[in-house]
Amino acid sequence: MNLNAESSTPIYIQIAEWIENEILADRLISDGKVYSQYQLAEMFNINPATAGKGLTILLENNILYKKRGLGMFVLEGAKEQIVKKRRDEKLTILARDIVMESKRLFVSDEELIELIRKVQKGG
Amino acid sequence: MTIVFREVFKKYRSQNALNSMSFTIEEDKITGLIGRNGAGKSTLLKILAGHLRATSGDVQLYGEHPFNNLKVSSNLIFIEDTMSFPPIFKLSELFEMAKDFFPNWQDDLARKLLAYANISDKNHHHNLSKGQKSTFNLIYGLATRCKVTLLDEPMNGMDEAIRSDMYRAILKEYIAYPRTIIISSHHLQEIEHLIEDVLLINHGQAILHAPLEDVKQLLVKLVGNSAKINEYIRSNEIYFEKDSPVSREVVVESTSVASMKNELIQEGISIQPVSASEVCKYLTSQRKGGIDDVFK
Repeated sequence: MNLNAESSTPIYIQIAEWIENEILADRLISDGKVYSQYQLAEMFNINPATAGKGLTILLENNILYKKRGLGMFVLEGAKEQIVKKRRDEKLTILARDIVMESKRLFVSDEELIELIRKVQKGG
Repeated sequence: MTIVFREVFKKYRSQNALNSMSFTIEEDKITGLIGRNGAGKSTLLKILAGHLRATSGDVQLYGEHPFNNLKVSSNLIFIEDTMSFPPIFKLSELFEMAKDFFPNWQDDLARKLLAYANISDKNHHHNLSKGQKSTFNLIYGLATRCKVTLLDEPMNGMDEAIRSDMYRAILKEYIAYPRTIIISSHHLQEIEHLIEDVLLINHGQAILHAPLEDVKQLLVKLVGNSAKINEYIRSNEIYFEKDSPVSREVVVESTSVASMKNELIQEGISIQPVSASEVCKYLTSQRKGGIDDVFK
């Protein structure tokens, strides 16, 4: 995975999202150990403090928990929580953008739904 | 605080190279020292390294004044372009001597990195090319594992490939042995991934000292209909502006538009991110219109 330095999304948020994606894909599982900030720094070629901030966010959002001296682990139910949050936040924002752009381009509701179906089928 | 500058002035004849410079740096952080040519980057580093004495003000490194201080000089390494080594010694002998002077010297690392960079240790320092000199100097600096490591434009003259390798080497060495690093550059973009904080200086003063991620969020660019933008934005808030026949572009602080984000979007004005290096450019530029002003 590559980080996007140009993006308006801060690098530490991108790190947090990457770990969330690993959890969604079951590559990191409940009570499984998560990469340390130093491992992440090496993997993504970034400052360890930046990687640490990404982990802190997940800690604050109850996705990870800390065992003293052992590192961070995935909290039970983290996956479900990520799914819910992404639906509530990210997907809603994306949907709003799509609706706004559709309005600008005079796309009717039916056409929009048709387009989504087409994309789902991989067209 | 590892490093403290308090109202530091440095006068060269009638010019103030440092003009009431104040900042503090915490231990084991990597700070990018950013500024335009002549902003005072090298002067600042030379004072910190104890090579120059400040005209006035307080400079402290672990509570000590660095000028002519032996205790400071064995815990600090200053890597710069004009570094010179005794000409009679080969590179391998320079490494040999470093062992005696720097208690944390990593001989194995130094030799491996030098071999990786394809520089023979039988060379003499003054016979190296410009890029090779920079590479050697940086390797030397990393291998000392000094608690305070100052890198003044360390990649000068290096080719693209070795540059990114050397940035990676800095990161890996920092992870292996955290230390306080200040790295100066006029290319913020190149060191962005590596640093935690940005210290931006201009005309001998620190004008911004903040985490890199905050710098990236500091300004935004609005692009859209000229009349609409003028409705929302007062001219004294503008850092940069550019007008074309079809649209107007203005750069303003994110906080000044935060409350009217949705209205702006509704009005068809697009809000675009401003990269950290652009932020530094806008904060240090004299003119709101940039180079275009000159041709008006």
